[in-house]
Amino acid sequence: MNWTEYVRDKMGVLLSVDTWLPRDLPEYAFGLLYTLGSLTASSFVVLVASGILMAANGPQWWTVSPIGFFVRGVHFWAVQAFFFFMVLHLLRVYFSGAWRGGREKTWLLGTLSLLVAIPTAFTGYLMRGDFYSQWNAVQAKDGLNAMGFAWFNVLNAGQMYGMHVVVLPLVLSVLIALHITLIRVKGVVPPYPARDEDEAARREEEGFADAQS
Amino acid sequence: MHNPKQDVTHRYEYVRADFLKHLAGTTLVVAVLAVGLSLLFREPVRPALHIRTVATSTPLLFEKVAIGDLTGTGTIATYGPPYNDATGNVQSPLQKLVGVIHPVNPAQDFILKPLSMAAVLNPQVAAALRAWHAAPVGQRDRWAANYARGLAHARVVGTSVVMPSGSYGPVAPMMAGLLRLGQSGLMTGALNRSPADYQFDNQNALLFLQGAPLHQAAKKLELLGNQWGIIHEENAPFPGPWWMTIVTAIYQIPYIAHASGGDAVALSLGMLLFIALMVGPWVPFINEVPRRLRVYRLIWRDYYHRYEHPSAPPPSTPPGGGGPGE
Repeated sequence: MNWTEYVRDKMGVLLSVDTWLPRDLPEYAFGLLYTLGSLTASSFVVLVASGILMAANGPQWWTVSPIGFFVRGVHFWAVQAFFFFMVLHLLRVYFSGAWRGGREKTWLLGTLSLLVAIPTAFTGYLMRGDFYSQWNAVQAKDGLNAMGFAWFNVLNAGQMYGMHVVVLPLVLSVLIALHITLIRVKGVVPPYPARDEDEAARREEEGFADAQS
Repeated sequence: MHNPKQDVTHRYEYVRADFLKHLAGTTLVVAVLAVGLSLLFREPVRPALHIRTVATSTPLLFEKVAIGDLTGTGTIATYGPPYNDATGNVQSPLQKLVGVIHPVNPAQDFILKPLSMAAVLNPQVAAALRAWHAAPVGQRDRWAANYARGLAHARVVGTSVVMPSGSYGPVAPMMAGLLRLGQSGLMTGALNRSPADYQFDNQNALLFLQGAPLHQAAKKLELLGNQWGIIHEENAPFPGPWWMTIVTAIYQIPYIAHASGGDAVALSLGMLLFIALMVGPWVPFINEVPRRLRVYRLIWRDYYHRYEHPSAPPPSTPPGGGGPGE
């Protein structure tokens, strides 16, 4: 198969409605524990929607407008929901050993999303323009300077605004999109084999080893 | 076919699910939750600390910060990269390597430049500045050092600082002029000046406040680093940025809290822990931990019950309720 055919085949799977909106799902992937990832992604949607509304009105909207103040509240509670559901989701996938069956990259992208989400939220706290912003900025500068990240100037509200509304959400969106894509393409990790299945496999392996020796 | 190397079962069935309805449902739940909580509890706001407030309510503190900047003994004057070539707060070779990319000269930027603006409005400040600039450097240093020593015995009368008698030269009217500038509310603007006059960068106003003024205010609110400060929010019911708990916890380790390079050590350790989390699937034994912990038996309790007790009914409808997904 030449590369154009290969890409065409892959894209056919990647962009298909069956990949993204499946009608059938494995029997083990149901229940509240399997809603946590979707709740995290949904929190991100609410964050982006409320964030766009705030960005369109400028960084001081919430200080002069009751509507702006309310939307900032939605953004604040959405970020709390985002991390709350993300940490629960992380615990669920960790205890599931969710990297099994060739899903290591899915795990890597998920944890990277958490890593990028932290400075994304932190720069949001710097946008409040209140004491919390002042204090976090001066406290964070020493660590960032020490680590060689002085270019990321937390005392420069203009730079941090760009980081918070464009750069970091964009990076986070790409990471989340890739994470979800891998979940959809690779499927949700199946359970560890049940006792009888595990024993049967072990017997099969031992038999194979005996036959070899 | 079971593949022991992959350690996943292939013994399961597919069941009907409405994935779109599931996604719409979770989004609705979060939207209602965020809107409801915002309506019910509003959100935290902690008023900013203005230079005007510091100059008005604690004039002595304001002058102590200012004289430290003028004499070059303040925390930013002695900081080092990225602000200047000093060494007082250099915690790693990386910090030195990055160099002075946000240059700040506290005497010039925090004191003399704002005073030159105040001089346009105040003839006494203008005369004092002329005398300052006309004096030899050694003389200026002596005046400033005398003033710094005198401040230890100064009194506050109303919103003014009354100094004991001493040889302060023009430093006394300069400091009085700067205090008035601070009390007027104009000093923040005098510090945050971009060539284009559009103000997006508040670095210098924050650096002016970053020592004692912000630290004293933060201590009252239990926001200092050794008070688990960064994850605190204001009064209940507001949660803080609790997702930084691990890094904040590292700062509570006495060795790190008191180390001269504490920030570098704490952040490096936090980053190492995170990298360990990221690469866990590739690390032998670590990637086996969930299997040994057996918490998965609870996560897939229904699944194991069904397959380890073959008399259990086959899944015709989504078991367990809730939505499908990840």
